[in-house]
Amino acid sequence: MKYIFKFADIGEGLEEGIIIEWYVEKGQSISSGDPVVKMETDKVVTDIPSPKDGIISQRFGAVGDTIKVGDALVEIDIPGVEGEEAVKTAAEQPLPPSETKVEEKGFGVVGTIEVAGEGAYLPSSGEGLPAAEAPVKQEGTRKVLATPVARAMAKDLGIDITTITGTGPAGRVTKKDIERSKHQQPAASPAQPAPVKEQFTSQPLSMIRKTIARNMIRSKQNATHMSVMDEVEITPLVEARASLKPHFAELGVNISYLPFVIRAVSMALREYPILNAELDMEAERIIYKNNINIGIAVDADDGLVVPVIPDTDQKSLLELATKLNDFATRAPKRELKLDELKGGTFSITSFGSIGGYYAVPVINYPLVAILGVGKITHKPVAKDGEIVVGNVLPISMSVDHRIVDGGDVARFLNLVLEYLQNPLLLLSMWDGGKEGYKGESK
Amino acid sequence: MFDIKTLESYQAIDNKLYQVMDAEGKLVIPKWKSSLDNEQIVQAYRDLLFVRTADMMAVAYQRQGRMFTYPPNLGQEAIHIAAGLVMQEKDWLVPAFRELGAWLAKGVKLSEVFLYFRGHEDGSRFQEANRVLPVAVPISSQLLHASGLGYALNYQGEDAAVFAFVGDGGTSEGDFHEALNFASVWDAPVVFVIQNNQFAISVPLAMQTRSKNLAVKGIAYGMESIMVDGNDIFAMHDVFSFARDYAVTNKRPILIEAVTYRAGAHTTSDDPTKYRTSEEEEEWAKKDPVLRLQKWLTRKKLWDVSTEEELIASYRKKIDAEFEIAEHYPEYNIDDVFGYLYEEMPDELKRQKNDYMNFINSSGGVK
Repeated sequence: MKYIFKFADIGEGLEEGIIIEWYVEKGQSISSGDPVVKMETDKVVTDIPSPKDGIISQRFGAVGDTIKVGDALVEIDIPGVEGEEAVKTAAEQPLPPSETKVEEKGFGVVGTIEVAGEGAYLPSSGEGLPAAEAPVKQEGTRKVLATPVARAMAKDLGIDITTITGTGPAGRVTKKDIERSKHQQPAASPAQPAPVKEQFTSQPLSMIRKTIARNMIRSKQNATHMSVMDEVEITPLVEARASLKPHFAELGVNISYLPFVIRAVSMALREYPILNAELDMEAERIIYKNNINIGIAVDADDGLVVPVIPDTDQKSLLELATKLNDFATRAPKRELKLDELKGGTFSITSFGSIGGYYAVPVINYPLVAILGVGKITHKPVAKDGEIVVGNVLPISMSVDHRIVDGGDVARFLNLVLEYLQNPLLLLSMWDGGKEGYKGESK
Repeated sequence: MFDIKTLESYQAIDNKLYQVMDAEGKLVIPKWKSSLDNEQIVQAYRDLLFVRTADMMAVAYQRQGRMFTYPPNLGQEAIHIAAGLVMQEKDWLVPAFRELGAWLAKGVKLSEVFLYFRGHEDGSRFQEANRVLPVAVPISSQLLHASGLGYALNYQGEDAAVFAFVGDGGTSEGDFHEALNFASVWDAPVVFVIQNNQFAISVPLAMQTRSKNLAVKGIAYGMESIMVDGNDIFAMHDVFSFARDYAVTNKRPILIEAVTYRAGAHTTSDDPTKYRTSEEEEEWAKKDPVLRLQKWLTRKKLWDVSTEEELIASYRKKIDAEFEIAEHYPEYNIDDVFGYLYEEMPDELKRQKNDYMNFINSSGGVK
């Protein structure tokens, strides 16, 4: 028999979930209790276990798809069970409608208008009641329940709100109803409207996108962004990395330029604690962080995440590279834990690995600085009065100008560039972080 | 053994935690002896395993859409099994909602628990359990019932106790304080048990109270109070035995704070990774009550871990069978939901019923 396993309301009032990962393939056999799929909902991200033993005969939806509560997740072929039980599970018929039909006009009948009064009152609210006493105009405009916002929205769109069927409490016309009716509105003048191609398709925001959007707004509204850009010739670093690469590869670690940048930034931050700080306007103070924890912007399919490497000033290049490799593997699979996304004190974004020389990065508020690494290119540079081809690394930085002055950031950046220019300094000047870092002891 | 003398050296005000064995299952009290024999202890371990299996399967049923909601007991089972060993038939059990092992010990059927969380009223109509109140969803409200029951026991001249459960979050409710005060003033034989699992949904204990512990709250109401390691089944059993005896003999209430950790989510609608760290979870996992007793038993050569897998498989079958009873239980009549409040249904209620019927008919088979 075929059993349809549907996505249930697993969070008391959910309407939908997003498929994060499939654990089963079509044709695979599954036991009751085995995980079928990982779902993200408004409330939880969780595995959904199979209720039956059998073989997956169909999967509904791909990773990223939104599945409504009550819609099918998989079809399970249960060998040996035929006929009646199959009918029973497939049926899951809704209960028959109540025999006591409530006789009230205007309730949920498509095409009529929700008229206030006649019992259509809202509990615990006076709204709608006076209309029951006032004579209701039988023709022309009829009174409709709606919030002022909804009324304004309908007006803006040029829609007569009295023509909309409300689906809210007591037939209240909601913004959703107006949105829906907007699409149903006939075109203005021509009697026979030509079929119009949809102007857009809409996609609901994922949790992660909502979070990113909120954070970006928070940063731009609170921090006073100021950016500075510079470039540095890094041929010695290119050579250093090339000679280290095979050794790291033997250990199974891929080394990019990023670990060097992290090292340079960490060392420079020890000299300039103001860039590893936070502004507490309420208490009118600056909070210097006693650790250097650098958040690395990682590009994942479903959106940017910024996992944090703690105590970067105390980590070897190998440790840094290993951590970056680990983030790169786990971030796209959404396996990063909440703890790993917390506690950053400075951020680095290395957009150059994809493309672009310069950018104006957005600070990961409430931090005060972010450094952007651009694309390394061969470019003519002047060296000892000659023009030679160099390896040029562009660097962009944004800081919160409320507490970081132009001089600070320029001096900081000079030091970072100096380190990157002379990779030997990165090694020789590093004390392994053993002296520790105290933000306030500048 | 825990007696009135022990109580003197474990005063809540001194922040002293009563513990018998540590996380490694080693005794921390020299020469301690259980009042349980080896056979009873092995049975208690089996019960722990059974309850843990049932609990985890309950979460899976919920994820399959076969149960509406469920509050996992993971990590707190020792408290419930220990209470079950001490409670007598004539004692009352007044639960909050996270005491699975204690319910089963009182004779509540697993199928009834499942029925309740499937939204069926009959899940609270216990066929074989006596003197058990249903789950109390409004936090702490049950404690007032417990004080009343204790008062009634005295009034009827019965020598029995009331076991009343609440969580750490519940201690911030007014009902908690009213109940403790009344129980004390009326000399009600109530064993109040705070399951301090560190979280009121997402609110950590540090944001819940400035008291040095939760047991001290009993002092204000003039009752003896003990703080116990809730992940130590021996300590819990000692204290419950003492507390029941104390309550019945002296006709006095007593307050127990069982310090534990909710290793699972608050309910299936909660995602604890949003508000606590995995380090913290790992720290507590080391103190797990089931693991702890297992270590003790293994050391005493009373238990062979290699038999567990088979045992759990047999439990799984039993639990599935119980769930099927709940799943195939006759559906309730929807009229019952609306029918009993008024003699004649008012218009507004009719409207709600109609809306609900429309919802049932149009929704994705959620009944």
